[in-house]
Amino acid sequence: MAKLAIASIRLTRVSIPLTLVHAGSMYVIQKAERTVVELTLENGVTGLGDTWGTPEVFAMAGAFGKAWVGSDALDRFALRTATLGKSNYDNKYGRNGRAAYAGLDLAAWDAVARSLKLSLAELIGARRRESIDVVSTLPAAILPKAVSREELTKHLDDLSNTPKVVDFALEQARRFGFRSFKLKSAAYSPEWDWKLLNELKEAMPSARIRFDPNANYGPATATALCKRLDALGLEFFEDPTGELEGLARLKSAVKTPVATNMWVVKDEQLAPAIRRQAVDVVLGDLFMWGGIDALRRMAKATHAFGLKPALHSVYETGIATVANLHLASALPEVEYPNDASLHFMSADILKEVQEVKNGAMALPPGHGLGVTLDRAKLDKVALESTETRL
Amino acid sequence: MHSLRLASGAEALAARVLLADGMAGFGFTLNMDAGMARDMAAWDALGRSRAVPLHALLGGSHKKTIKIDNDGNPCIPPDWSLLRKGILDNEYDLLRIDPFAWGSVEQISTIAAAAAAFDLGIALLAPNAHPWEIQYCVALGAILRGDDSKVILRTEIKEKEITISNHPGIGIDWSLEPAFGRIQWQS
Repeated sequence: MAKLAIASIRLTRVSIPLTLVHAGSMYVIQKAERTVVELTLENGVTGLGDTWGTPEVFAMAGAFGKAWVGSDALDRFALRTATLGKSNYDNKYGRNGRAAYAGLDLAAWDAVARSLKLSLAELIGARRRESIDVVSTLPAAILPKAVSREELTKHLDDLSNTPKVVDFALEQARRFGFRSFKLKSAAYSPEWDWKLLNELKEAMPSARIRFDPNANYGPATATALCKRLDALGLEFFEDPTGELEGLARLKSAVKTPVATNMWVVKDEQLAPAIRRQAVDVVLGDLFMWGGIDALRRMAKATHAFGLKPALHSVYETGIATVANLHLASALPEVEYPNDASLHFMSADILKEVQEVKNGAMALPPGHGLGVTLDRAKLDKVALESTETRL
Repeated sequence: MHSLRLASGAEALAARVLLADGMAGFGFTLNMDAGMARDMAAWDALGRSRAVPLHALLGGSHKKTIKIDNDGNPCIPPDWSLLRKGILDNEYDLLRIDPFAWGSVEQISTIAAAAAAFDLGIALLAPNAHPWEIQYCVALGAILRGDDSKVILRTEIKEKEITISNHPGIGIDWSLEPAFGRIQWQS
């Protein structure tokens, strides 16, 4: 097998309504937009990918894809250098570029794994686990619809609203068996977060809870809040503040582990984070890191220096959700449960339903990702599509 | 596993891994670490059974050729606490690694990830300058990022650069040692 040439790349931008109103410090949303990638090799095998669905990332993936057609899918290192440059300095496309690349890269890994008759986990390293524990997101507040920041803060001023989030969490535990939760924070009211986290812990004493204000609390406010929260024994504080220096100061003041998916997203940010002892956990996002090999390198490097790698995600289709299951299975360094929000998507684009049972998801059997695209389901949620052929 | 006497008089271990489909892969070492030879043989078998070179199983190749150099500096012993401390204390200009001492492709991948994070090149030592050792180091060299990465020997060499093989498996020419062809592998 000299070469696995890429014959065509088809991209479809989709919009999928969420079954919840997501409220955090960055946005309040009711839908997820994604770019679905179908990368077909000359041998007829198609690999699937998925990435951010903003018009910018969709356009960038289309432009990258034009240059990929005819290239060898076996040589993803060369494709990354050709697309994003030799270093992150050379990457003139920023994080949108890394995300656009990652969608194509995932499809190339899938197509190669299918061609070599290996599961994606085996191609990444090994298929070590068949079932991966997953984390349910909890919105910062339970809202009837997407609201403005002003309306959100008004809701948060009324502390009698916190039990609605607890009820929501209990429902997730009841329906799907979740034992791990990520509470988003609007980073507006430490008193809201303090009361709500205490109530969550009281309602679910054995649950693992991570707390994520997306770095929108200032370092002093975040440190004061996290020192109070230390007694709750949370799983970790995820980006309680930023940037790296603020995180490092906070970490030195608390006992609970500190995680980031925002301040360590590139190779060159690893060494400063390790030297500064800024975090305990690096939550790697496939699309922020720019592809499978970058994430694999992160997992190995962080673990080698005593940090813990984990897998981050936000409202992805079944394709990226399953990719993260394969990554967790393949990387022995990953011990924390995976972020996963597929159960909040009102529709998916795969033939096989990917379910959360007893708080875990199973790796599909078969080669590559082990999943198949459902064209009719894709068409239902499609906004636009584009295709490049040899 | 078999032991064999090389043309130089040195002893080597050779390993064969047979896949369920009958495909065989081979590995070797001159340091008597059977695990090292088996790990190599398993990767060789997988690559041969899929008709792809080692680097295609690891994600791709960062280079078409790799530099080869005579270098007398000591290698980092296979000890992660030493390696970590040395990196953090800025002790290394390059990570000089004997892949046969570290024992597996997985270890070299992990060192490569740490090296990428700390902007360090890797020099892979062929400890006895045996051609098989050099070929294995070249096969692994494909996955090393950066212009500093190279293969090193303790002896004088003529070549400055070696082309990375695209042969299926680890790309070792077993015919270089006649004793290898005489091994009676049990079926």
